[in-house]
Amino acid sequence: MDTHDHSHDHDDERPVPPPGGGDHDHGDDTAAAGADDELHGLLAEFETPGALIAAARKVKNAGYTDFDCYSPFPVHGIDDAMGIKRTRLPLVVFAGGIAGLIGGAFLQWWMNAYNWPWNIGGKPSWSIPANVPITYETTILLSVLTTFFGMWAANKLPQVWHPFFRLDRFARVTDDGLFLGIDASDRRFELEQTRQLLVAAGATHVEACYVDARPEARQVPKPIFAVMIALGMLALIPLVQIYKARATRSSQPHWHIFSDMDFQPKVKSDQPFPDFADGRGNRGHLAGTVARGQLAADDLFDRGLDHGAWTTSLPPQITVDDAALDRGQERYNIYCAPCHGYDGAGHGIVPERVKRIGGVWEARNLVAPDSVAIAMPNGQLFNTVSNGFNTMMGYAAQVPVADRWKIVLYVRALQRAQNATRDELPPGATVR
Amino acid sequence: MSATKSLHPDEKLKANKLGSRLFAIGGAAGALLLALSVVLGGAIDQGFAWQRFFYAYLVAWGFVCSIAVGSLFFILSHHLVRGKWGIVLRRVAEFITGSLPLLFLLGLGFIIPVLAGYKHLYYWSEPGLHDASHPLYHHMHNKLGWFDPFFFAGRYVLYFAIYIGLARWFAGKSKAADDLDEAGAAALAEKMRVWSGIATLVFSITTVFFAFDLFMSLSPTWFSTIYSVNWFAGAMLATYCTLALFTRAIQRSGRITHSVTVEHYHDIGKYMFGWTFFWIYTAFSQFMLQWYGNMPEETVFYNYRMFSQWEWVSWALLFGHWAFPYLALVTRWTKRILPLLMFFAVWQLVFHYVDLFWNVMPNQQWLVEGKLVLGPLQGDPALHKVHFHPVDVTLLFAMIALFLAGVGRSMKGNLLPVKDPKLGESLAFENY
Repeated sequence: MDTHDHSHDHDDERPVPPPGGGDHDHGDDTAAAGADDELHGLLAEFETPGALIAAARKVKNAGYTDFDCYSPFPVHGIDDAMGIKRTRLPLVVFAGGIAGLIGGAFLQWWMNAYNWPWNIGGKPSWSIPANVPITYETTILLSVLTTFFGMWAANKLPQVWHPFFRLDRFARVTDDGLFLGIDASDRRFELEQTRQLLVAAGATHVEACYVDARPEARQVPKPIFAVMIALGMLALIPLVQIYKARATRSSQPHWHIFSDMDFQPKVKSDQPFPDFADGRGNRGHLAGTVARGQLAADDLFDRGLDHGAWTTSLPPQITVDDAALDRGQERYNIYCAPCHGYDGAGHGIVPERVKRIGGVWEARNLVAPDSVAIAMPNGQLFNTVSNGFNTMMGYAAQVPVADRWKIVLYVRALQRAQNATRDELPPGATVR
Repeated sequence: MSATKSLHPDEKLKANKLGSRLFAIGGAAGALLLALSVVLGGAIDQGFAWQRFFYAYLVAWGFVCSIAVGSLFFILSHHLVRGKWGIVLRRVAEFITGSLPLLFLLGLGFIIPVLAGYKHLYYWSEPGLHDASHPLYHHMHNKLGWFDPFFFAGRYVLYFAIYIGLARWFAGKSKAADDLDEAGAAALAEKMRVWSGIATLVFSITTVFFAFDLFMSLSPTWFSTIYSVNWFAGAMLATYCTLALFTRAIQRSGRITHSVTVEHYHDIGKYMFGWTFFWIYTAFSQFMLQWYGNMPEETVFYNYRMFSQWEWVSWALLFGHWAFPYLALVTRWTKRILPLLMFFAVWQLVFHYVDLFWNVMPNQQWLVEGKLVLGPLQGDPALHKVHFHPVDVTLLFAMIALFLAGVGRSMKGNLLPVKDPKLGESLAFENY
């Protein structure tokens, strides 16, 4: 795996060579550096987790502190044997969880209730029960992330290289190898004594590990820095793009990262369409046909005409009763009152608002004694509701025929009521 | 690699007089308290004759019943997953399930009145519901086939036949293994493991309908599919609390003092923590879906528990049954300092009773100024008051005493499954 392999020249049974000893030779291209090789420590292999635990305890009791155990799976009890104190990670995780709880709740409050409140079905924009699931998730998320990265930090991960990687045998630590390594930096480290301690502790194999002492061999190669800086700068591009999009104006359509169903192969109304002979997407009525429900064959009911003249009565389909008047009032208040006002005197909110901003928008007074609306026959009034008058648009598209007649009825009721005299009041009525 | 340990040579394994003493004292005290409750119950002038008595009876009975049912699940789940840590607790759980036959008989105390036509416990037994003019006929007529008193009683017998059958089979096999050699005991352990799968399935389906029938049907127009899961969560929480307290009590008598260690209590504590959370998880799931869905036939349940005096019981449950014990049990130390763990076991049992009380009691029907207010069905929530009555207390202690008598009756022979192949690993169990 590298050119400084110290292990391939020892057999399992052979003792560990002293540093710089004759047994310790180098790969072909490193002869110059050989004299500078530095002892990193000793690596001992053990057969069973039980043996590893016993050895760890023995090494700890011998006073060593700079040592570690390596195994492919967690060995229960090893931390106690090595004298490792209980981790304080749970406290950090608890803090992470609390941060997730507060953060999740704040996130929802900020977005839903403060920064952009949005009425969804009349539900309150801030309500604890509705926010519990998200808060619960963010609590778990931050707890888990804190556990994961806290564990990394506590173990000084990520560690991309370790001197023991130079020993071939150590590769088995990810499979079935159990190892104990003592650093040469430990103040009790004494190569021969330490080796004997490990053998006495039951090691099946003990091996010294050397690292290249040249300073340049211990530095991260410069090209890696170059690549990392380049990647870091490339990563800024999207952020710069986003910032630019926020700070500038553009006539281009939005980027459709998710196109949803924004672009559909269909013809929208009033759009050109070359496949039809007339080049228009709209299809008109076919000559000689009437669409279902649009026959309108009844002159009196559909147009208010009685033998060619505006009718002064009502079509037989309309019965004059409270229900018809109530319906007429309801429709009038929806469609007519915005301009003509609830009392029909022409003071609806539209002309009032136009007046307030300095414009002129007169809505006809339907109830004044001299109003043309009073003089009009019923049929003409109906026709006005249906097709409009001067600047007023027709309401045939919004209001069904029968409802338009009921609006006529209600307008007549308004005219009557607004022009009533005191002696027309029913007996017992009080004047306010 | 699992460590094992053999039984301590001085361990006192036999129940000896413990069971018979428990049976005698529990039986006498229970019978006395039950008689006192009947006297007090007859003197109640709340709502309808005997209504409060039967409601209190159902809550108290449900309290001890949930522990017996939960203990059965403890046994099944241990076999199912080949659990090791809790083998030393399994025999205690088996003794607890030995109370099921007595609980069956005690349950007849309200099943027989329902059969005899008492209609103020379960409102669906009201004969008037079959009349199409009854205001709730529309809600109930499709359910009345299921809620036939005789069909109901038949299901009650079936549920207990299943529970008692499972409990006797597993406890019987476990006990039979005590007298066998190693190979025979291992074969029995394997047999129990094989059958625990199907048994768990049968247990789960039984428990779903058990809680639906006996508790949810108190409010026959209301429904929640997670109700039984929530009931089960409360039952399991109570079971682990009881296991902790009961095992500790046995140890106080000088028995099994070496086998059950702080490590096992630590694991019980972990489960208390876990089930505490699962209880609130299911309780909140039920609440949030119904609150958010906002449909009258569902929200009625919470209407009575949020907008009346019951509101304070609801808050007490939220903080007492979840927030406080949850936060307290999160650390390792609460679970390892036994007096503290015992405190929380008692605390959670008290709140388990409050939980059942809160589920059951608001369904009572009240006469308000001579007018019938059907607890689960109609009326102003503000009319619903939290009432206490001496029978609540006397019946609770009567049921606990009788439950202990039932446990004592089955408490014979060894207090540990001495021949279980995994006993050694359970004895050596340690939390790392």
